[in-house]
Amino acid sequence: MLNYFISLLTVLLPFWVSSQSQPVNSQPKDSVEYKQKYGLRIGADLSRLLFSFIDEEYTGFELVGDYRITQKLYVAAELGHEEKTQTEDLGGTLLYRYTTTGSYLKAGVDVNTYTNWLGMHNAIILGGRYAVASFSQTLHDYTIFESNHFYNPSFLQGAEPGQEFTNLNASWLELVTGVKVELFTNLYVGMSVRLGFLVTHKEERFPNLWIPGFNKVTDNSNFGMSYNYSLSYLIPFYKKSKKKKGTPHVPQ
Amino acid sequence: MKKILLSFLTALLLVSLASCEKDDICVDGDTPLLVIGFFDAEDTETAKVVPSLRVKEVLLDEVVNTITDRSSSLDSIGIPLRIEAGSTRFAFVTNSNDNTSGEETGDIDTLTVSYQTKEVFISRACGFVVHYNNVAVTTSTTNWIQDIQIVQPTVENSNTLHVKLFH
Repeated sequence: MLNYFISLLTVLLPFWVSSQSQPVNSQPKDSVEYKQKYGLRIGADLSRLLFSFIDEEYTGFELVGDYRITQKLYVAAELGHEEKTQTEDLGGTLLYRYTTTGSYLKAGVDVNTYTNWLGMHNAIILGGRYAVASFSQTLHDYTIFESNHFYNPSFLQGAEPGQEFTNLNASWLELVTGVKVELFTNLYVGMSVRLGFLVTHKEERFPNLWIPGFNKVTDNSNFGMSYNYSLSYLIPFYKKSKKKKGTPHVPQ
Repeated sequence: MKKILLSFLTALLLVSLASCEKDDICVDGDTPLLVIGFFDAEDTETAKVVPSLRVKEVLLDEVVNTITDRSSSLDSIGIPLRIEAGSTRFAFVTNSNDNTSGEETGDIDTLTVSYQTKEVFISRACGFVVHYNNVAVTTSTTNWIQDIQIVQPTVENSNTLHVKLFH
């Protein structure tokens, strides 16, 4: 029975195909313009919040925001505050312990290099920032490194523990690469990796080993790495359709 | 665009590798030793070894651990200074030996090294060390050391000669 139907279909198929009489229009006029949302996207860094809870030696937060200017270009900024206590030791012997506290502001642009499918609002971002930080450092305890233990079996305590170095500042340039994905309508998750290049920094007797927003400062290098994982919400201000590039001239 | 992104990520990786540092081993410095050279009292340019040299720190009354005790081939030595004090006293003994009752038979000159200490941060892995400024060496006796000359009053490393002793 099934065989019968299949053979019947096979016989009739050419007739069905040839009955498609209307020519296929390969260039239909696109009358629907897709409008894209423009607005302010604001949010917060999740990793800094998370580490504030799980790491006893760290508290910090970062607010993130961007404002869409054109199809691809955004102005973007981050504002944050961080406090981090770090201990350096040598085989269980304390070398020094210090706390860095301060705020930072990063401002610049993001370029979305990703061409979305219709209706999607994701982004692969390349961007740049100029950042400034204002902070202070407290050197809690420290010891004097001396490999010869003739007078003292262990390292001696430093003479001035608990010193505070205030009014420190730094500025740096940041190269940003990251992604932003629309999770639900207007709600975005993003992550970015930032390569920082330290331009200026004021330091005292105790150097700036860590700068809020910049992260770890490496000996003899101006480069640093930082990152963020953001959750942000888009407040749409207006809608605008994408400009069509090279619209073909339609003859009258 | 993909090319730009790819080259950017490669550059990022290279820079992040280049900025690596050994931050668990201290190789950048140490609290320095005071380096003393022994020279001929007549021909002051010529180094002269001290026969059976023994150097004792006076307060601890112990032989310093940085030189071979009672060696006869040393024309320069490095000795540790006290960090927590502004001076350290050393007994310099030549022809050092013990008699049958265990007493020192050599010639002794007691030198007082005075200085100011300065804590200096040298690197992430090492932290702080002490440098010594305005080093001065005095002695009240001249049993075998005829003259003292400060070559380098600032002691920041153990590689240069700081003090010359003539005998």
